[in-house]
Amino acid sequence: MKALVSSRFILSFAAACIAGYALYASLHWSFKTALFPRVIGIPLLMLALIEMALSIWGVEREREGHAVDFELTTTVEPALARKRTLVIFAWILGFLVLILAVGFPLAVPIFVFAYLRIAGREPLTLSIVLTLVSWIFIEGVFDRFLHIPFPDGWILGLWR
Amino acid sequence: MLDTFIQGLFAVFQWQTFLVMLLGIFLGFWVGLLPGLGGTTTLALMLPFIYKMSPVEAFAFLLGMHSVVSTTGDITSVLFGIPGEGTTAATILDGHAMAKKGEAGRALGAALMSSLIGALIGAFALALSIPIVRPLVLTFGAPELFMLAVVGVAFISSLSGEGGRALLRGILAGLLGLLFALVGQDPQAGVQRFTFGQLYLWNGLDLVPVLVGLFAIPEIVDLAVRGTSIAGELPQENLSKGVWTGVKDTFVHLGLTVRCSLVGTFIGIMPGLGGGVAQWIAYGHAVQSARDSEERTGFGRGDVRGVLGPGAANNSKEGGSLIPTIAFGVPGSSSMAILLGAFFLQGISPGPDMLDKHLVLTFSMVWTMVVANIITVAVSLFFLNYLAKLTLIRGPVLIPFVLFFSFIGAYTSNNHLGDLAVLLAFGFFGYLMIRCGWPRAPLVLGFVLGRIAENNFYISTIRYGSAWVGRPLVLMLISLTVIVLFFPLIRSKWQESTKGETQ
Repeated sequence: MKALVSSRFILSFAAACIAGYALYASLHWSFKTALFPRVIGIPLLMLALIEMALSIWGVEREREGHAVDFELTTTVEPALARKRTLVIFAWILGFLVLILAVGFPLAVPIFVFAYLRIAGREPLTLSIVLTLVSWIFIEGVFDRFLHIPFPDGWILGLWR
Repeated sequence: MLDTFIQGLFAVFQWQTFLVMLLGIFLGFWVGLLPGLGGTTTLALMLPFIYKMSPVEAFAFLLGMHSVVSTTGDITSVLFGIPGEGTTAATILDGHAMAKKGEAGRALGAALMSSLIGALIGAFALALSIPIVRPLVLTFGAPELFMLAVVGVAFISSLSGEGGRALLRGILAGLLGLLFALVGQDPQAGVQRFTFGQLYLWNGLDLVPVLVGLFAIPEIVDLAVRGTSIAGELPQENLSKGVWTGVKDTFVHLGLTVRCSLVGTFIGIMPGLGGGVAQWIAYGHAVQSARDSEERTGFGRGDVRGVLGPGAANNSKEGGSLIPTIAFGVPGSSSMAILLGAFFLQGISPGPDMLDKHLVLTFSMVWTMVVANIITVAVSLFFLNYLAKLTLIRGPVLIPFVLFFSFIGAYTSNNHLGDLAVLLAFGFFGYLMIRCGWPRAPLVLGFVLGRIAENNFYISTIRYGSAWVGRPLVLMLISLTVIVLFFPLIRSKWQESTKGETQ
């Protein structure tokens, strides 16, 4: 049961689902549209199923766990690491919601200030200075100088 | 010929030309550093300013800006784990890992010096190869280009880990990347694929939010989990010494740097492959240079060769991609397509005239790339000690800014909020991949090559049926794919058995 809820199983299951969906969707397309998705989808599905089976029953040798890629920190206690991971994902998601609600130019300084004060527990003066820096960047560089079109956000949209 | 070559150099050092080149370098420096600004977009934005310039001035300005973007993009990749440019993502794997070990200075020194060597090799390849490049490009038809993409994905997949299980995961990641590239309108029939009725997805997934998500989000999560600065609480090395160690590393591994520069130049010459591909193939080659499996496990954990390879290739490819643009008017990448627009704005037709009537201009381009990179690296070396100290800033202070630049970088690729959703989706996916020991490099290369592979596969099948598989160069590339996939496995088994016998 533990193997079934492991992240390795979930990732290989997700890969199998993506491949399965791609193959199913390709059934409704003409030959030329479906050709390449099938060429990719069939081996992807087969290999994902093998990886799924291996993540349940296969024994992984220590050195096979290392991909040529960066590895997550292992020095922090697992329970604390899990908690911090959930918290940072919540902040990231919160930043997205804030951008959707009030738009980039307001969301950036609000987020920077809130993160520095709540998550970072930084002193008020430093938080205000860094918030001002972020505001100058978003307003001065991206909005005024580069004229990046930022949507208003739901709340400001209702206001106008 | 030599006279014209020297005339090209003098043309760059005319005071007006030199001044506009410096302005271009200044712009390129910041465009490369800031993740929210892309080199290609900035090149397009600067086109209107060249109307009143002479051709030599115009190309000194545009190429001066464009040729340093990858160099300074490496700095952001090393320091913060966010790709400063789409073409500098591969530098993150080992460069940022070095920064986390307190070796940011060394990584930056290596990235800058390898970039300079790459740029010099790319520029001189441009100067030397214009007369001989035509037969090379014409040898590669659609079947060969398709197989080249397959070799690329197989190469990086097989080198992304140790043992059979890692090979399986590498191939899975590569195939997923190829599949993600198919989102959007089918180029052959115009049918919508995997768009779920969303207009935003009609043009497919953009590379920038995908890259920023895959690389920046897992780094931010890890930084938050550690609760320290990027360099952690490790004893800090002498940063100034570190920079020079990195510079020396480039010369210690000069063979690798030169080979990766040549890889970058070759990929730059091939129309449609571009810098996104060159850096990953070069990274794969750097991993391949490890003598045994034990040495290979150091990659991804801060091996300086993982910085030198992509650093050299993403600069040398600029010279390479200028070759088909200048010689045939066939742009090798989107930035070269914009540069082609600059040729027309100046009333110049690329092609044989560039080797005859406009030869001084052609050589002035070569010299611009050389001089711009020398100036950028020299100036950057002065600031590296200060830049490396950014890795000592506390995580909680850095995280909101890294997140801000990640979000703005993703958003500015299309100016669409959908980019932020893509950023988060790929950020979570990237995090899961790292947790499960799946390599991200094959996914990125598969994603970059997906459309190119599909187009060439389709053209090959329609034009030649199944006969394209029998073409000599295709057969060679198929054999190469098989060797590339299974050689590391066979080698590691052989090394294990040799070790067993000696014990």
